[in-house]
Amino acid sequence: MAHLLPYPESPAPPLPPPRSINASPKSALLVENDQSLLSFLRRSLEDDGYAVRTAANSEEGLRLYRDCGPFNVVLIDYCVPPNYGFGIDYLAPLQKHGIGLAMAIRQIHPLQGIIITALAYRDAREVPRPLELMHIPLLVDISNFQLRSLLEKIEVERAIEALTSSELLRLRQFAEFRVRGLGRAARGRTGEDLLQEALMRTLIGAEDLQKGRHWNKDVDFVGHLTGAMQSISNHWKRQFKETEAYLISEFPVRDAEGQEQSPLDNVASEHAEADQRLIEQDEKDRVLTTFKDDPEATQILQDFLDGLKKSEIKSRYGLDERKYAATMKRIRVKLLGRRNGGGQGEKHDR
Amino acid sequence: MIDKMTHDERLEQLMNRLAESVLGLSDEAALAETSEVGADPEQEAERTRFVLRQASKALDNVTERLSNLGHTINSNGWRGGRWGHHFHSTCQTCGSFVSFTPATGEMRGEALDGQCPESGQFAIPRREASRK
Repeated sequence: MAHLLPYPESPAPPLPPPRSINASPKSALLVENDQSLLSFLRRSLEDDGYAVRTAANSEEGLRLYRDCGPFNVVLIDYCVPPNYGFGIDYLAPLQKHGIGLAMAIRQIHPLQGIIITALAYRDAREVPRPLELMHIPLLVDISNFQLRSLLEKIEVERAIEALTSSELLRLRQFAEFRVRGLGRAARGRTGEDLLQEALMRTLIGAEDLQKGRHWNKDVDFVGHLTGAMQSISNHWKRQFKETEAYLISEFPVRDAEGQEQSPLDNVASEHAEADQRLIEQDEKDRVLTTFKDDPEATQILQDFLDGLKKSEIKSRYGLDERKYAATMKRIRVKLLGRRNGGGQGEKHDR
Repeated sequence: MIDKMTHDERLEQLMNRLAESVLGLSDEAALAETSEVGADPEQEAERTRFVLRQASKALDNVTERLSNLGHTINSNGWRGGRWGHHFHSTCQTCGSFVSFTPATGEMRGEALDGQCPESGQFAIPRREASRK
């Protein structure tokens, strides 16, 4: 580290005990020597719910980081001085101790979210930085709006890295089933598309669904993404209904015994592709057929189709929680297995 | 009410119930089910994390490319395409169009054809000014 901060040691003011910062839900380290900027940034961070530690130079910043890090976010002024006792020429083009500090912190925690404040530059292109920091977020405009966007991005990236394997698998399966429920309205989209869309709208961060979806940090990240996926898939469905003509096969027709039938069920076609498409429309029957040898699964699926609640289904068939859960597991495993093995045949046309 | 539902709506209801059931799974059950489907849970989990990172990186890349060309895009100004595969926006300065697809990282639009013709017109070279 000495090579990154090649300046003589000088006495630093005593620091408050570091523990309190880690007890806060969100923490930030702010390395800034300009008092007016420090005050503005500190207030902005605190308004956003961050417990803030401050340092006036890179040496103190690094010491605080070592003592109290990692933080949710570290904000470093590009032109922060190396330590106390140095006269700093703010116009000097080579003052970039903030970059040295950012590099040192990344050596300690490679995934630490860092924002460089480079207000002496008019845009990010002009800020000299090493290749490994080329993608680091830069604050070049002193506005709450840009700061909030960058903080949101760092929080989201941090949350992605913190997701456990089981959380990731639940998100994936949730997305798969939601897309599958869209039928033709999926228009070729997969569970991955839905998951990416949920994340994109989170990053965009506005509160209107058409623009984005703000992550309210009172909700955990998995809960936020599943909520976003629900809204997005419902939105896709509405869009499809508003614009797409229905196939005749989608209008329910009942036979003499009251059973639903497609009006084209008994119409022969010379067009294999059209027949195939009609068959694919009736995914509901295909799902039930998959479980024809599993009466319990068939009963539960049929009751889902009829809109029964879990408690109603359990009492109707005398299923205890264990048996109900085991049947649900068989259903999920079989349907997801069928999809994984189904390849392109399971996808809907765009 | 149920009788009036179409095949489509019934299927959606069924799949949504299955989706919700996934959220109640314990950690062990979620991992075990993935194994039973025939996939490696850790690989599947990391693949999912990659999908999320990819979307974030795609946004970074398009933002950086536009910035390098001098375009100004409001980060809240991205809008989803009608069918959800891409996002689009316009340069706040010159109005040129740009879109990108998170899944593939593909970028399109006239904004990528060259430098923003209006960039720098109103900019103040702050480096030349004192911060105090």
